[in-house]
Amino acid sequence: MWEEVTALFRNYMGTGLIIIWFFISVIYLFAVEKRKHIRILFLYVPIIVLLFFFNPLFARLVYSYADDEIYYRILWLLPVTIVNGYAAAVLFGQMKGRARYLLGVCLGAIVIVSGSFIYNNPYFHRAENLYHVPQSVVEICDAIEVEGREVTAVFPARLLQYVRQYSPVICMPYGREIIVERWNHLNELYDIMESEEIDAAALSAQAKAQMCHYVILPEEKRINGSLEEYGYTVFDTIRGYVIYRDTSPEWWNFEA
Amino acid sequence: MTVIGIFLLCIWLLAFPAAIGELFIGVDKQAKKLPFRWMAGQICLWGGFQFLCVPLILTQKDFVYVTLLFTAYTGILLLLSAVAYLKRKKRPALHIVKDKGSGREKSELIAWGIFAVLLVFQLIQAVRMTYADGDDAYYVAVSSITENAGTMYRKLPYTGGTTELDARHGLAPFPIWIAFLAGISGIRTVSVAHVALPVALIAMTYGIFYLIGERLFAKRRRFLPVFLIFTELLVLFGDYSFYTMENFMIARSRQGKAALGSIVIPVLFLLLLLLLEKVQENEKISVSYWILLALSVTAACLCSTLGALLVAMLMGITAVCGAVCYRKWKLLAPTAFCCAPCVAFAVLYLML
Repeated sequence: MWEEVTALFRNYMGTGLIIIWFFISVIYLFAVEKRKHIRILFLYVPIIVLLFFFNPLFARLVYSYADDEIYYRILWLLPVTIVNGYAAAVLFGQMKGRARYLLGVCLGAIVIVSGSFIYNNPYFHRAENLYHVPQSVVEICDAIEVEGREVTAVFPARLLQYVRQYSPVICMPYGREIIVERWNHLNELYDIMESEEIDAAALSAQAKAQMCHYVILPEEKRINGSLEEYGYTVFDTIRGYVIYRDTSPEWWNFEA
Repeated sequence: MTVIGIFLLCIWLLAFPAAIGELFIGVDKQAKKLPFRWMAGQICLWGGFQFLCVPLILTQKDFVYVTLLFTAYTGILLLLSAVAYLKRKKRPALHIVKDKGSGREKSELIAWGIFAVLLVFQLIQAVRMTYADGDDAYYVAVSSITENAGTMYRKLPYTGGTTELDARHGLAPFPIWIAFLAGISGIRTVSVAHVALPVALIAMTYGIFYLIGERLFAKRRRFLPVFLIFTELLVLFGDYSFYTMENFMIARSRQGKAALGSIVIPVLFLLLLLLLEKVQENEKISVSYWILLALSVTAACLCSTLGALLVAMLMGITAVCGAVCYRKWKLLAPTAFCCAPCVAFAVLYLML
């Protein structure tokens, strides 16, 4: 348990410098801050929170009731931003004249060097529209939606997480849960869809078995065989994705 | 996004909370300020939403009842706020206090300017940039389904199709609140979640930092903008790991857990700071303060099921520290009473 908790703390610290600055700020404020209410909330409380966090008995208790991945959120009770910001501003205020501004710039530079610019995070990118989902998802969903009912479509893995955020009337045989490895979800159709070369017969059999009205494939995807042979027609091609529509009569009934 | 929709969202996210904040004017002198009123009003709305929504989810009622009841609740609060405002205005002002901030130094004004530029930058980025987070496939999809199908936690968010009630997630129905905003504004749920909410909630977080800063720099107000600039830098460069509150605040503001970390926990720090200050100064603590504290705790439960544990920990540790340091044991009872919503929702979580 101790190893798990310390590993979580290390992961939370990341590069570690901002948290080190937090501890230095706590020590600094311990020396200079005389107001008791501030000392209690921003010095004593964080220390006790850390004692709880690193207590294996407490950790075991929380782990037994909550998901182990979320134990780190106890560290949100450390007012890192407030304490670091306060310590920096107090130090800034203790200087006079030009030294003050020089110190301000230095402290700002320390924060910049110690942290990591949030918009440089690889998961951040320029939004393509005001829905903040890929424009391909918007256009594909708009194209295949049928008023008054749900339709089922199978999408490539990279689009899975966006589809039902944009359109809750589009159902999928599998969703984002399939790409989270630790959840161990399996789906034969997914394996076929994500294979380097798709076997048209296998894809068709699985897609029909899972009642998919549409199959959406990247244009560049290699297909062994032709989906048209199995009752599919190309419904549309949108932003690099080909939309195949199953025309099997027995369950393809939008009037239902 | 239609103009009317944007206007309605402004009303629900800014004007109504700020108006309802009138009910908490008695908390402190600071409570008259717009950021406090905005924060207090929003906490009051969130707390009420949690109390109204969870029973309806657990009894598998449709979303329309949430919409009706929450609209009525907001209407009643607005009415009470109007009455409170009129009563307050009837009382003659005793004296006019000269604003000490009128004679600000040039350097202080420049610091405020830098703060404003950094804030506007973050708000623009909230609209311009998007963060691909897998958890949205659950939370935003729940909001979209709710708004579209009118059922709550009874459809599989990842794939569609009906399922048994997901009661544990239903105990923290922040996505239902987003669905409510989408429904009332007519703007597509995904846009409300990814664009409108981040703008409102990031701004609110800085409003709370401003209020905390005001208390920290009560006698040295000229350093308040410096504190705020440092907090902005710490947030902007707070991506040192995926788990930080700063990462959640900027990247995943539409998720309840982000609102917990960047709004509710800072609000509790503010309120607890206020409490300890009043205990130290031997000032009377108003009933409205305790109500706001209890509503904050309830709002934490709305945001995340883990919120109950986190805020109970924070309040418990602070109350015990305060009671020991000031020898004021009577502090413990009302604080514990304010944690009652946490206990209730935690018990429900364990039972379900």
